[in-house]
Amino acid sequence: MNIAVCIKQVPDIPTIRMDRERMTVIREGVESVINPLDGVALEAALGLRDTWGGNVTVLSMGPPQSEEALREALARGADQAVLLTSPAFAGADTLSTSHVLATAIARLNPCPDLVLCGRQTIDSDTGHVGPQIAEELDFPQVCGVHEIHVETDALVVKQVSDGFLNTLRVSMPALLTVSQGLSVPRHIPLGDLERAFSDRKVIRWGLEDLGLQAEEVGLMGSATRVWRLYTPPPRRRGEILSGPPHRLVEHLITMLEAMGILDEEDANG
Amino acid sequence: MKKMQTDRNYEGIWIFGDYRNYFQNRVTLQLISKGKELAQALKTEVTVLVLGNRIHQYAMEYVAHGADVVMVVDHPRLKDYHVETYTLLVAKMVESFRPEIFLAGATAFGREFFPRLAKRLRTGLSADCVSLEIDSESGLLVQTTPAFGGDLLAEIVTPDHRPQMATVHPGVFEERVHDPLAVGRIVYPELEIEADERVQLMRTRPEQVRKVNLEDAPVVFAGGRGLGSMERFQVLFDLAELLGGEVGATRPAILSGWVEDTRLLGQTGKSVKPRLLVTAGTSGALQYTSGIQGAEAIVAINRDPHAPIFKIADLGLVGDAHAILGLLLEKLRKRL
Repeated sequence: MNIAVCIKQVPDIPTIRMDRERMTVIREGVESVINPLDGVALEAALGLRDTWGGNVTVLSMGPPQSEEALREALARGADQAVLLTSPAFAGADTLSTSHVLATAIARLNPCPDLVLCGRQTIDSDTGHVGPQIAEELDFPQVCGVHEIHVETDALVVKQVSDGFLNTLRVSMPALLTVSQGLSVPRHIPLGDLERAFSDRKVIRWGLEDLGLQAEEVGLMGSATRVWRLYTPPPRRRGEILSGPPHRLVEHLITMLEAMGILDEEDANG
Repeated sequence: MKKMQTDRNYEGIWIFGDYRNYFQNRVTLQLISKGKELAQALKTEVTVLVLGNRIHQYAMEYVAHGADVVMVVDHPRLKDYHVETYTLLVAKMVESFRPEIFLAGATAFGREFFPRLAKRLRTGLSADCVSLEIDSESGLLVQTTPAFGGDLLAEIVTPDHRPQMATVHPGVFEERVHDPLAVGRIVYPELEIEADERVQLMRTRPEQVRKVNLEDAPVVFAGGRGLGSMERFQVLFDLAELLGGEVGATRPAILSGWVEDTRLLGQTGKSVKPRLLVTAGTSGALQYTSGIQGAEAIVAINRDPHAPIFKIADLGLVGDAHAILGLLLEKLRKRL
């Protein structure tokens, strides 16, 4: 089974800062990691490959430094890594991001039987890119999968969705986005450590390599525009107190009494 | 003032009617109410699109809650919600009826179905909006969503593509009062029902988890990674039990594995409206605070006097959350 995994490099903490003038993320001084759920997708892909054979290709669209995330994926055991990078890709919304990723996946040889993504990223959190890649590739999709079983030409997967536990059968090729809790048991062969230091290179594909025009990618290929970014106004400004814990707790208890959440203590109390 | 530039080839506001768990899942009703406001600004109508089998009762409900039109596609093959089949049918309907705006609740299904539909229609989609309004100059739908990890709000527009699509966070708009005398049109469009059989639902059952009823809890104790450990997080459960409340958490606390993800508060979790919310060890990222702003009173506990959480607190306590909450528990136990 040949599997493509889409990953995104994200800041380590969900409290990144913005350059308001340029409306871009300030990346300096922030550690970057593979988006956690994309890491879960990668582990699942490696587990499926180890059981069923085939190979795992990891793809990421992003600035040149996203290569670090792809190197980490190679070190974890991926067979091939492709960085999709071009100045023209900047400013992309999910419509144009999914276009670049789907175009790249369609160019893989052999064509993957399965595409895996994390259900959402910790930075932008839309969850759109997976389903939109599936749509462009004309693959069926299931989102938020926490179990995958392989049958001939099909997968049986489980998903928790709006309070229901669904068991679905999906024919391949297919795209799945994965949720926390998905694990595919995996033997980590000793060779993996050696692989990490091998000289396998990250493949780079730009605009021309993908046969794309600048108008269909990045900001130009996006349907949405960010009109304004702002810090929300404070809802209210209450009292802020500091001091020894017992004083603070007294204040809190007085407030609970005033709200009627606690009965007022009787005089003897 | 410039003239409104709404595209008259596309007209009307559509809402995807999600009737599953009707008595808990109110987001469709909230969207109808918001849609009516938007429709007033655009001088147009609100249409709810509902697909399923034997769903006439829901059409009546949507009219009673303010829909001008309910478009019903009723067929045995549409009994279960199905992303590919729904995309196939709804894309065709959008292409023939041309709504200017199309909204869905940011439920798990909405967030799986709408991206695929938007892609097929080659239009823009914003995720999990917390506010929607019509810009009076351009007539565009301004879609506000927390951005970049949650410190900021972004106003997103879809200038040149139609329909303008958005998923909306449940709980941010108020539904209208049920009006049994409301008048609306219920229409059954002629449509060839095709089904995409590449994904088949084999089994479905209600998820069996301990019911967490955060939305209705009068008191909520919420914690973040600042509490330091799973053991220290437990004090929130003790406090909630004493005061008849529930426990919520930020995403970092859940990612740390301290508490199950059904307790997530904020943009991708639950929005709560308790009388009192005590939030401890949470810095105050907008993705989180968007879910707690509806609380009548917010008490924040944080070691850092400059933490953004204090900006939305009615009472801020600067200090060690572990010490303060431990002492509070001790005092309450003596009293109750």
